[in-house]
Amino acid sequence: MSRFFRGGDDSSSESSSEEEELYSTSEEEEEKDEEQEESSEDEEDEEEESSSDDEAGPAKKGLSRFLLDQASSESEESDEEGTTKVKSAKDKRHDELEATISLIQNGQKINDWGSIANEFDKLNRQVVKLQDGGKAPKSYIKCIAELEDFMNETLAKQKVTPKKMNATNARGLNAVKQRVKKNNKDYQSQIDAFRKDSDAFMESEDEAPPPKVTKQPIRDTYVPEAADEDEDKGFARVDKRGKAMPFSPESILKHLRAIVESRGRKNTDRIEQIKIMEELSKVANTPYLKIRVLQALVSARYDLGAGAGNVMPLEHWKAAEKELSALLKILETEKDHVVIENAEEWDDDEKQPTLAAGDNYIKIPGSIVSYIERLDDELTRSLQAIDPHTSEYIERLTDEGSLYNIILQGLLYYETIRKDASLEVPQESLNRIMQRRLDHVYFKPAQVIKILEENAWKQVSAGVDSAITPRSKSEDASQLVNILCNYLFEHSEGIIRARAMLCQVYFLALHDEYYKARDMMLTSHLQESISNFDIATQILYNRTLVQVGLCAFRKGLVYDAQNTLQEICGSGRQKELLAQGVMIQRFNQVSPEQERLEKQRQLPFHMHINLELLECVYLTCSMLLEIPLLAQTGSSPDIKKRVISKTYRRMLEYHERQIFTGPPENTRDHVMQASKALAAGEWKKATHFIHSIKIWELMPGAEDIKTMLAKQIQEEGLRTYLFTYAPFYDTLAISTLSAMFELDSRKVAAVVSKMISHEELAAALDQVTETVIFRKGVELSRLQSLALALSDKASSLIETNERTLEQRTQGSANAFSRKDGQRGGQRGGGQRGGRGGARTGGNAQRQAGGTQFTGGALGAAVRG
Amino acid sequence: MASTTATGGSEYDLLNKLAPNLDRHMIFPLLEFSASQLVDENGQVRDEAKARQITQAKFALTQRTNMTDYVANLYCELEGLNEAPAEYAERKKQVFSQLEKYEQQTAKITELLERDDVVNALRSDKVANLEFLKREHDVTIDMVNALFDLGNLQYSCGNYGDATETLYRFRVLSTDNDKVAYATWGRLACEILTMSWESALEEVQKVREVIDSKLSQNPLAQLQHRTSLIHWALFPLFNYDKAREPILDLFFNAGYINTIQANCPWILRYLAVAVITNRTKAKNMGVQQKQMKDIVRIVKQEAYEYQDPITRFVHALCIDFDFEEAQQQLVLAEEVLRSDFFLLGHADEFVDSARHLIFESYCKIHARISLTDLSARLGLNAEAAEKWIVNLIRDTRLDAKIDYKEGTVVMNHPPTSVYQQVIEKTKGGFFRTQVLTSAVGGRS
Repeated sequence: MSRFFRGGDDSSSESSSEEEELYSTSEEEEEKDEEQEESSEDEEDEEEESSSDDEAGPAKKGLSRFLLDQASSESEESDEEGTTKVKSAKDKRHDELEATISLIQNGQKINDWGSIANEFDKLNRQVVKLQDGGKAPKSYIKCIAELEDFMNETLAKQKVTPKKMNATNARGLNAVKQRVKKNNKDYQSQIDAFRKDSDAFMESEDEAPPPKVTKQPIRDTYVPEAADEDEDKGFARVDKRGKAMPFSPESILKHLRAIVESRGRKNTDRIEQIKIMEELSKVANTPYLKIRVLQALVSARYDLGAGAGNVMPLEHWKAAEKELSALLKILETEKDHVVIENAEEWDDDEKQPTLAAGDNYIKIPGSIVSYIERLDDELTRSLQAIDPHTSEYIERLTDEGSLYNIILQGLLYYETIRKDASLEVPQESLNRIMQRRLDHVYFKPAQVIKILEENAWKQVSAGVDSAITPRSKSEDASQLVNILCNYLFEHSEGIIRARAMLCQVYFLALHDEYYKARDMMLTSHLQESISNFDIATQILYNRTLVQVGLCAFRKGLVYDAQNTLQEICGSGRQKELLAQGVMIQRFNQVSPEQERLEKQRQLPFHMHINLELLECVYLTCSMLLEIPLLAQTGSSPDIKKRVISKTYRRMLEYHERQIFTGPPENTRDHVMQASKALAAGEWKKATHFIHSIKIWELMPGAEDIKTMLAKQIQEEGLRTYLFTYAPFYDTLAISTLSAMFELDSRKVAAVVSKMISHEELAAALDQVTETVIFRKGVELSRLQSLALALSDKASSLIETNERTLEQRTQGSANAFSRKDGQRGGQRGGGQRGGRGGARTGGNAQRQAGGTQFTGGALGAAVRG
Repeated sequence: MASTTATGGSEYDLLNKLAPNLDRHMIFPLLEFSASQLVDENGQVRDEAKARQITQAKFALTQRTNMTDYVANLYCELEGLNEAPAEYAERKKQVFSQLEKYEQQTAKITELLERDDVVNALRSDKVANLEFLKREHDVTIDMVNALFDLGNLQYSCGNYGDATETLYRFRVLSTDNDKVAYATWGRLACEILTMSWESALEEVQKVREVIDSKLSQNPLAQLQHRTSLIHWALFPLFNYDKAREPILDLFFNAGYINTIQANCPWILRYLAVAVITNRTKAKNMGVQQKQMKDIVRIVKQEAYEYQDPITRFVHALCIDFDFEEAQQQLVLAEEVLRSDFFLLGHADEFVDSARHLIFESYCKIHARISLTDLSARLGLNAEAAEKWIVNLIRDTRLDAKIDYKEGTVVMNHPPTSVYQQVIEKTKGGFFRTQVLTSAVGGRS
């Protein structure tokens, strides 16, 4: 499956062909690889070079094959060139080869693996050019056979001798070991022949019929064979080179192998392969074959979506979804077949595996969870690419339902195979699929989840139920989310755990459970560690934070809402932080690579949090907090200029600088004009402005929110009024205030009391006349306020010093006090031990109060 | 009135919440108390069904203890039998034999520990002590462990006085840290049940040490243990005046206040009452004020999780400054207090302190208050109110005067001078710096 992921890893698709042939580490080779990559665009020029280059077979083929129309002719040409060219060239190469071989032999003699590794690489490159029809020179075969033997010997030796090789040697040995293994497989038959009778092999002529070739591109080899076998069976399909391509159940595995091996290469025609496999899947007659074909088919479809800008075509996504669902159905009915990650690859193409005695399962390597994840990712990518305001987007979005079905089925599948401990299914797979399910649920309102769940369970046959998320419990969305999150929290760690937590908080916040959400957010302690997580999780964290803030706002907790939203909205980069749009970079600092990554991170539109609503909430909260504060600082200059929201202040300043202010157009204008009205004490006007913001309609319970806001504006208006106009009054009747702000006089009294008590207002209440009496002469001179500031700073300096010292000495100080305590305790104990007998009469001391204990009486009952 | 008391009491009855955090034996007095609440002045039981329920609860509670006689009595009461079934007699016999067995096992060690020469030879090193006893007197570790079992059994039988002695002896000798921790808890329970508050207080401190040191690696267990300790500490807190300050200190310790907020917000009721009633007794006004501030902050924070008349009173008075609401809540709070096991004895004190509190903040905010209005608010007649206020003014040194002609109290709020403020702020600076200097100097 690693190959499968590679496919998704957009940048590597072009280089994968190189990677496949030679796992070489020598620098020279790498340079060439790079060259190869760079030059892949202008193939034409490089063609000559690369064919004369020290490239291995398939790559060369790959390049030439790229130009499909001329491919055959040209390759023939070059073949002919190869043979008709002056002998001496070939001889020269032979000589080079011999030289290299002798160098390797020398290396073997002195046990210098570093040079062997280098020479071996060189040798492999040289031999490619000398192959005709896949047959390698004898001397080469001899050399590699000997090398393998020698290598095995050395390895064996190394195990028994404690002496270590030096670093270069060890590295060389390892490199050779890997390469020999891979390389020799290709020449196995020749090597066998050599091993059987080395002399005979060496003596036999070059022109002897070549042994079976495997290094050739596979498609060329299987086609003729298959044709031979099946021509008379009537299945005949003609490929574009005019060769017959028949299918039969027997040949399926071979076809598959061929296709799998050609995966990821540049020149493979994926559509063609998919067609072949579609045919194959019709022919497949046993569960095993079906599963294998479906697996290959699904992965092949995913390959279509590989690459940076590519999106998997819609029809292929749908087909993949169908096939995946079919695959899961088969797995559900055929209990003895399992697809698990840690299964052995089945190498024999000739026959199918059967159930051995004592085995319960036919294990097929593969990862269902990866298929599902990929399907999910592809849907997200396609949603990212579609314009969200079209009907196409909505149509595409309906596919989420079927995707969710598959996730559920996959989950059920993993639950069943997890039951059997012998399969050793890792917990992680189950966690991953749970996480996917959660990802599709957490941001949705309960009703939507209910429908989603109902539809998903309809697809599942009635007898099946999930142990973790039982059918009966999935109906209730909050219960479902709770179960999923708790499961993940208990059984996973790291990122998945954090994500589960965040999802739950998000869900709770969305459903107005503010305190639960907040407490969970706080107890998670994620704010300390969130910067260590990956970007997707950080985005989720930001989203959750915003959602908690919105929830607080709906609850009427303006202060909390502002505080929570500050971090995200105050930054002015909401779009970026919530992954709901790419920021336009002013200074062009981002590389295209970064920009592309950022685009990939974007959330699909249906998951977005409405940014305008968010801004509106943030600004309104800021207004309610800032306007009284501004009024307060305006009247008494000694209070430090505290700023709650810089963004809001900036906007307000900007707004005030305007010479003409027209009627408000957007949300921001509304809030700004409301702020101005509020600052002037005109709370009714402010309420009107705020109420006429249209976007409140998007909030659930818009009317309640409006009344809540009106109430807040009344109160804050009163506070602002008092702050602003206090210097101009000696007394102020509560009843006047009450009439002015249409508040209960008790409420007014409470607000005024609060302000007096917090020493925000230099005033006192007169109960008899029901008035507020303002004290005079509380304003400070500049010198006085500076003196106060100085004394404040001095005391905070001392405090800081004390804290620093405390931190420094904490360990030792604690140790001392603890020791003292223990010693004291023991001493006390010792003393009391002496007069132990006398203390038994202690229960005579009873309290005369109402709280009588009866324990003593019970004791007496037992004793007596 | 009687019926409202009953309903008011049951609405805010915390028994269900307290019980899981208390020991069996400690719940017992609580149950007794609720049973006694049902009995009115004439000795008539008001609510038969409820009384029976309580007896049933008592029975269930004691069933697993070894207080066999009492269980048997309860059983008879429940079933209306005169003679207890034979199984109880059987169990009693068993308990006695077990008791005897343990006593035999520990007879030697008990005797040794009562001998002065042995006790004097003991040192603070437990291992050495054990070694010494083994060498000189053939004491084995099994005998020491038998002490633990004996203590456990004695406690279970309700013989708390003996149990505390036995456990104490065990603790002196044993080197098994876990068992010592259990024994400490056991002793605390015994001291509480025998109402020896002074030693109970000592045990509270010991348990606290154990929790802080041993369980620091296991936050969950720490939380649970702290919850239990907080609940157990309620007994000394409200029954022993000297225990008040150390226990309040304990409760306001960061770890414990967090435990209260996270795990048992209902303790806030007790905490609030303790702090409010503490105002007259506290030696250090600064500490009391700080505690008051803390409790206000926490009540505000936890308002969504826990509310009862007492916390609502605090909320109304100190957060909303709604004096009428505070007044109403105070009436309710008094009822709650009167039906609370722990707070019964403090109801009057609380009401008095709460009135002071109301008046204090009322005066802080108001410049002129009408006497008649105030007397109505305090629930006193005009003359008594005047007396009360005069006393109050004298006690708290408020800058206030009564204008008899107008029938008002006039407050004088002199604005705090700026110079005074500066002096206040820089007052401790020198001393604190000196302390710092000496601390730094001492280290290097």
